[in-house]
Amino acid sequence: MKKFVAVAVMSLLLVFAVSLDFAAAKSTTSGEAKRNTGCGLGTMLFKNKADNSTILQSLQATTNATFGNQTFGITSGTSECEQPAKFAKNDRLNEFVVANMDNLAKDIARGRGETLDAFADLMQIPVEKRAEFYQKLQANFAKVFTSENVVMANVVDNVVTVSATN
Amino acid sequence: MDVKKFVLIRVYGAQCSVYLFFSILAFLVSLLAAPAVSAEDTAYLDELLGSAREMRLSGERYWDILVHYKPSGSGRKSLVDDPKFFLAPDGKKNPEAELEATIKSLFQEDKADEEHPRCRFIARYTWLKERLNIDEARLPPATCTKFNEALASINPKSAALIFPATHINSPASMFGHTLIRIDSSYRSELLSHAVNYAAVTTDSNGFLYAFKGIFGFYHGYYSNLPYYEKVSEYSDLERRDMWEYKLNLSEEEVRRMLMHIWELKDIYSDYYFFDENCSYNLLFLLEAARPSVNLTDRFSGVRFWVIPTDTIRAIKESGLIVGVKYRPSQATRILFKASHMAGASQKVSIEVAGGKKSPQSVLEMGIAPEEKAKILDLSAELLQYKYSRKQISKDDYLKLFLPTLNARSTLGTPDPASDAIPPPVAPEKGHLPGKFSFGPGYRDDSAFMEIGWRAAYHDLLDPDDGYIEGAQVNFFDLRGRYYFKEDSLRLESLRFIDIVSLSPWNTFFKPVSWKVNTGFDRKILSDGEQHLIYRVNPGGGFAYKTPFLGLSYIMLETDVNLSDRLKHDYSVGFGVSAGVFKNIGDSWKINLSAQSLYYEIGDEHRSMKASLATNYKITTDSGLTLTVSREKTFDYYQSEMKLLWNLYL
Repeated sequence: MKKFVAVAVMSLLLVFAVSLDFAAAKSTTSGEAKRNTGCGLGTMLFKNKADNSTILQSLQATTNATFGNQTFGITSGTSECEQPAKFAKNDRLNEFVVANMDNLAKDIARGRGETLDAFADLMQIPVEKRAEFYQKLQANFAKVFTSENVVMANVVDNVVTVSATN
Repeated sequence: MDVKKFVLIRVYGAQCSVYLFFSILAFLVSLLAAPAVSAEDTAYLDELLGSAREMRLSGERYWDILVHYKPSGSGRKSLVDDPKFFLAPDGKKNPEAELEATIKSLFQEDKADEEHPRCRFIARYTWLKERLNIDEARLPPATCTKFNEALASINPKSAALIFPATHINSPASMFGHTLIRIDSSYRSELLSHAVNYAAVTTDSNGFLYAFKGIFGFYHGYYSNLPYYEKVSEYSDLERRDMWEYKLNLSEEEVRRMLMHIWELKDIYSDYYFFDENCSYNLLFLLEAARPSVNLTDRFSGVRFWVIPTDTIRAIKESGLIVGVKYRPSQATRILFKASHMAGASQKVSIEVAGGKKSPQSVLEMGIAPEEKAKILDLSAELLQYKYSRKQISKDDYLKLFLPTLNARSTLGTPDPASDAIPPPVAPEKGHLPGKFSFGPGYRDDSAFMEIGWRAAYHDLLDPDDGYIEGAQVNFFDLRGRYYFKEDSLRLESLRFIDIVSLSPWNTFFKPVSWKVNTGFDRKILSDGEQHLIYRVNPGGGFAYKTPFLGLSYIMLETDVNLSDRLKHDYSVGFGVSAGVFKNIGDSWKINLSAQSLYYEIGDEHRSMKASLATNYKITTDSGLTLTVSREKTFDYYQSEMKLLWNLYL
């Protein structure tokens, strides 16, 4: 009898562990592991390697795996997004803004940061003019990020408009 | 013959017949192709083949590097497994045939729909051209459009080695990961490219995942992604700090590395977690850049595992590393920012991020603008963090994030110094992962000498420099004892794995702490003697850190014991354990712990144990451990004391 109880406990533990694992893994299947499609805020990469960690999640960390096909992508393009009208076509810039819009917004609000520096690189703002550029963007934050539905093309165009004003 | 079929057949062990098939196919193709090659081409081809043989090019080191050949049996074999990577049917095992097939392929006509071998294998071609003084005018024309586009886009100037450190709550990631960053002429490193070698999988079961990863069931591919994606993955989502080691590769060397990376595009090798892993495979890229350094050989043969920090040490010893930069994760940034704020301000940040207080109302508070800025900065980070963990919906996130930033934008720019987080000790500066220990002890009025060896990686008692505090992974920990009185040598314990993750609770993060260990151990059984049992011992609980007590924890745990000496051959216990780890100065570490387990299933008994352990660091790679413990199991009391000298290696 006791042996039976032990076996039952062990199998319960195992089922528990595996089901935990499935719960953890559900949202990491190929579709969602990829970038959420979208061109606005909140479009960050998700992997849901959340902190409510289990041993099994930790096991996953053993193999540095990536889900699905990895691109050797030089540029993945932003064709699904509206394109900026006021800035010369620049895939690199558009892609960067789509992928980093939240961090960019945060840096613009603070007036400095690494994402903002990279953005200025791509906008080809000369180093000596960046302090002024950052200051203008910060002062006009609400004009750049006009609403929570703002998309990449708006942000780039708004930046061009704002930075041209005195 | 497509690749899938090839793989299938190979799995069923019909390798030879496939090779035979390929040989016949190659022969037929050569017959068909023969008329296309002019007499002039044939003469030049023969000339090149002749000089290659004369120079014994297929025996040269750079050829080994480019095709990943390593000694195997009496010959050499490539570690790459993808048939697409080889031009000769037996190229994987025949460096000479592969070289000749490569030379022959240079004479192929350029077809519109596929890359010419000269472009596909551009590092091989560049090397051959240099070594054989190939006159390109005498080869059929070929334009490497795709490669040239990639080259222009990546614009390689310099390179860095990237090491994302341990995931704080997942010690298995201690084995970590390394990638190579290729820097361009952009000032911002975020705009660089990251070259990554990783297993590709669609499995979601953790056990399957680990098993397949360890035993080579996954295919590893190289990939090339914008560096900002990698930063977002490790730093924002996985809570992993990153270390960036600047390499002193010249522009020419980085370009050569990129050419080799191009050859490995869409090519797989079987992925082995322990040795043929990401860190090992990246070494080939460094060798392709600078063949005078010898990195891959250092890890083949003697050792059957490759740990990223070891590869960093090896690369450093080769003189490739010229600087190191620390990139704190978002979680580290949150804790750092909070540490410079009053408790009341932290509370306001949390309230704003929780939607309980409007960002606008922060602006109206009667405090200094700098403090308001700090509050809203922290709120924004917390919101991003919560959203990335899916603790809040996208709608809620957006409704709070933008107004927070909007309010923040009225509060000026922080001093750059306030963002500078002091870096901890770099990973390669910590103790080495192996450990040898030796020393005397006394148990139950019998003296002994203990000798132990651990394959890897870090124990909670080991000095924390270069490691994450509270994260233990011991792989293969073997201990033997010689008891003087009984004149007997015996196995004390053999732990295959022993993981503890103590991840402290704080205002912002509420992680679960957990442990698991399994292996052979000695335990007092009903006859009052110690016997060898097999143990599986998982547990979970919480940890907390205070300046006075150090890192303390409490866990509920299960202990399964198996032995034919136990009544019914097994025993399952449940109970609780608790303890504290406290650092005193730079060299001392003290651990006090207690455990009480009730074995209610199988051989019923109780077990209680308390121990005090202290570790003294002598040098980075040596130290002393003194352990005193007392336990009561099956109504028998036993005490033990031992002093071990540790050498990390």
